[in-house]
Amino acid sequence: MTKQTFNLAWRLFKHEAKRGELTIILLAIILSVASVLSLSLFSERLQSALTAKSAEFIAADRVLNSRQPVDQSWIEKAQEFNLNTANQVYTRSMAFSGENMMLVDLRAAAPGYPLKGTVSVAEQPFAPGQAIKSLPKPGHAWIESRLFQNLDLTLGQDIEVGDKTFTVTKVLSDVPDAGFSVFGGDPKVLISKQDLAATNIIGPGSRASFSYFFTGSDADLNAYYDWLMPKLDKELQSWVSVSDDDSAIGRSIAKAEQYFLLASLLAIVLAAVSIAVAAQRYSQRHYDPVAIMKTLGASKAMVQQVYLLQITFITLLGIVIGTVLGFILQQVVVWALAGSVEVSLDVWFWRPLIIAIFTGAICAVLFSLYPLLKLFSVSPLRVLRRDLGATLSSRFIQFLASGGAIFSLMWAYSGNLGLSAILFGSGILLVISLLLVTFALIWLGRKLGKGKMGAWQLAWARIRRRAMDNAIQLISFAVTIMLLLIVLVMRNDMIAQWQDQLPKGTPNYFLVNITQQQLPDLKTHFAQENVDIEHFYPVVRGRFVAINDEKVSTAVSKEDAEAGERQGREGLGREANLTWSETLQHKNSIVAGQWFNSSKPLASGLYGVSVEARIAERLNIKLGDKLTFNVGSEVINTEVSSLREVDWQTMQPNFFFVIQPQAMKDYLPTYLSSFYLDKSRKSDITELMKPFASVTLFDVDARIEQLRGIVKQVSLAVEFILVLVLAAGALVLIAQVQASMDERQQELAILRTLGAKGRLIRASVLFEFVIIGLVAGLMAAFANEVSLFFLQSQVFEMEASLHWQYWFIAPVAGAIVVGALGMVGCWRLLRLNTSHLLRQMV
Amino acid sequence: MIKTSAITKTVTTSQGELSILKPISFEVKAGESIAIVGASGSGKSTLLSLLAGLDEVTSGEIYLDGQGLQNMDEEQRAQLRGEKVGFIFQSFMLVQSLTALENIILPAEIAGLDDAKQRGQDILDKVGLGHRGDHYPNQLSGGEQQRVAIARAFITKPKILFADEPTGNLDAANSAKIEQLLFDLNRDSHTTLVLVTHDGELAKHCERQLLMNAGELSEITLANDALNSDRSDVAEMARAAQSQVG
Repeated sequence: MTKQTFNLAWRLFKHEAKRGELTIILLAIILSVASVLSLSLFSERLQSALTAKSAEFIAADRVLNSRQPVDQSWIEKAQEFNLNTANQVYTRSMAFSGENMMLVDLRAAAPGYPLKGTVSVAEQPFAPGQAIKSLPKPGHAWIESRLFQNLDLTLGQDIEVGDKTFTVTKVLSDVPDAGFSVFGGDPKVLISKQDLAATNIIGPGSRASFSYFFTGSDADLNAYYDWLMPKLDKELQSWVSVSDDDSAIGRSIAKAEQYFLLASLLAIVLAAVSIAVAAQRYSQRHYDPVAIMKTLGASKAMVQQVYLLQITFITLLGIVIGTVLGFILQQVVVWALAGSVEVSLDVWFWRPLIIAIFTGAICAVLFSLYPLLKLFSVSPLRVLRRDLGATLSSRFIQFLASGGAIFSLMWAYSGNLGLSAILFGSGILLVISLLLVTFALIWLGRKLGKGKMGAWQLAWARIRRRAMDNAIQLISFAVTIMLLLIVLVMRNDMIAQWQDQLPKGTPNYFLVNITQQQLPDLKTHFAQENVDIEHFYPVVRGRFVAINDEKVSTAVSKEDAEAGERQGREGLGREANLTWSETLQHKNSIVAGQWFNSSKPLASGLYGVSVEARIAERLNIKLGDKLTFNVGSEVINTEVSSLREVDWQTMQPNFFFVIQPQAMKDYLPTYLSSFYLDKSRKSDITELMKPFASVTLFDVDARIEQLRGIVKQVSLAVEFILVLVLAAGALVLIAQVQASMDERQQELAILRTLGAKGRLIRASVLFEFVIIGLVAGLMAAFANEVSLFFLQSQVFEMEASLHWQYWFIAPVAGAIVVGALGMVGCWRLLRLNTSHLLRQMV
Repeated sequence: MIKTSAITKTVTTSQGELSILKPISFEVKAGESIAIVGASGSGKSTLLSLLAGLDEVTSGEIYLDGQGLQNMDEEQRAQLRGEKVGFIFQSFMLVQSLTALENIILPAEIAGLDDAKQRGQDILDKVGLGHRGDHYPNQLSGGEQQRVAIARAFITKPKILFADEPTGNLDAANSAKIEQLLFDLNRDSHTTLVLVTHDGELAKHCERQLLMNAGELSEITLANDALNSDRSDVAEMARAAQSQVG
């Protein structure tokens, strides 16, 4: 390349930039870089904030759970890897106070625990907890509210655990690694690890779990795990990280992350569409300079170099401005969210920056490829014959380059072939359908546009005459509207689903051990105190012992399963809650077989049992299998009559096994229930429960608040991302309308010259854009439905649903928005006088 | 300097083959100026595009300064244009995003000349626009734009200059100035000039006049008495040319 070529390219770039010739393409690149950078920077920051939050739920970044104490050298090694460490021993033991005793969840914490999150305590049972930095001193114990109730204790009294006596000095409100189980297992007792040996409850064969907590940088943690992994005994030990969190919160965060990914992908596509539109316009506006240069003796190589350099300059400028703008944009969002979402501003993430620059560069190069090739093919003869355009007309290159660019960007960015394929596939489907619709429309236009030349006829005439151009314009409008719809509907569905999990009035207290005799009194008492309490679930402690007479040892309730996950298989097989019911519980649905529809036994002579689908799959239980339970010394045989799907994310009691009531009529149950008590009435709880001292109360308010807080944060973040994508989409629409205005300029000038009134021209442009917006909106609603079906069912694990309202909203909004943008563009043109318009045409 | 022998141009349309130029042969000597006149659609511009190597002949041969265009590809023809040919167009064909001076030096830069800027400034002074070098085309009047175009045509000191209706977009006063400028520069630099025009007055300034009529070329003398000539086609042509000027 010669110096002259570079100078020429630079000069052209400088002047054109100054004269606003490059505004549209520059804006498109800025938009793509800024939106991708702000979206991915924000979502990375948010993810890291949420991960940090989630880390609190396991009290560390990583946890090593073991059924035996691990070699001290492992811990020393972790410290060599710059990791912070702490540990805790969990076990179950009886706690005694005078005549009273109860099985407790004993936690002996070593200094440093918890590495993430906080322990909170209160000075009175059931009072709101305050965070505390210290741990119980040797000889002290902090115990949960309901243990005060069960053991009839007050602060300052003693309890015995094993051979050691502890003074109860605080009410334990919360520990970070409490788990998300509704019932939270047995009441927790927190002691110092120094006292553990003195209790003499840990010995050979005792059921204890040793947890080792680690925090540090991801790199150090991973390096340590690489060192540790070969030494782990899978039977005894497990390594837990935040991403293994399968709780409601863990899943909500995972879903939100996918949403951010989706939104960013769509932002990339939107940016790509706007670059394609802008590059097309850029190319067309440079036909003359290329013809002139060729006429004046410029070689093809020189023309190519000049324009490739120009595109490079534009891309570089776009990337620089886009990066600055994107950074400012996300900073503004983060500031706006300050207080609602704690997003750290300290960390600078390189990945989003690299992705944004890569996106800008790839989009600019690949989407301008075809328009540039077209530009290079312009004949020098154009200087004499003004009507000569570009000779290259193979749309194949265009489709290949742009399609390939979009797909590879999506894939590279998401690393998720499924998600990329779904979005890309629905895009292709949309394009094909749109082509068909456009040609149908043109055919229709031929019928509708007949008659005296008015605004309506002019609009149809234009649509008809530029069939291919209009098809492409229609497609880009529709794709933009579709992408916006996907982001909008996904956000609505997802937030609705989250809120559905925790509607207002979600029970925040659970009652267990209500006897048959207490039941009527309790109902009356609660009614008098204005506390709504609806469902009482009968419960019998039972043991699941056999499938088709083959002995098993397994969990009976959700709580057991969760305990099992934490402590290997030791919790399996113990007694747990069995229930029965004539009606299917709220949020349960039958996936196989039938719910009990008569009071008679099944054909086999056995009564039915409904089994939760996931446990059935895990234990390989099928419809018709014979399940055996032991209640005390009695044996209950049942036949599997249905499999149920249960929403474990609701704060409702749920059961793995629901037995046909007739099978259980000889057993005396206790009852289990839940109720909602407003925060303002928290102090009433002692009074409320006073007559029923033997009923156990669980306070899950803190848990629910924690869940709500996270859902609120994630929802807010999702809303902001929606706003960002909507802004990106709006800019794309503006770019498209502006580009198409150029094409209309000539026609408007001629109409003006021939004396057409401004009103006629405006009305005809309005009709044209309204028709295009309407059709684009309708097609977008259709494509949106198809993509959402696949996205929700395949990627987001949500129930796919139809969104009829958008079949109406999308076309109307499309017509209004596109029509309005068209009017604004047209108004700008009509303000210019005719001679100016004509001069611009030359 | 220019030699053509039996060149034809045929294009394919939906109605079949259409012959735009019948076999045409003529010669232009170095430093000579010729005008090609004719009615709209007679094929003048097509002939110009072939002579300048902007388009390819269907048959026949064209030699510019001894080099046969028919044996060259687009790239070689572009190189030849850059080295030996200058252009002036009816619609000026200036690059809108370059200033007057930058437009002028564009061919010099394409040809890789080092003193482009100096040459540009000199010639800009010569066409009387020395103070307007920083102006963009849309800030100049039609006459000024054409002066810039003329300056651009002469900057590389081309051996041949092709001018397509150079005064076609200008009023009478500006036309006269442009004519004067064009012929003065042409004379000073001994350039071979091929001028395509409707304008009889302009054509008269050239040493020879060729008439293009329905794809056929014939030599005429467009002297002052031409209006009274018995050759009706010339009379018609001349009348047409007169009315253009008027």
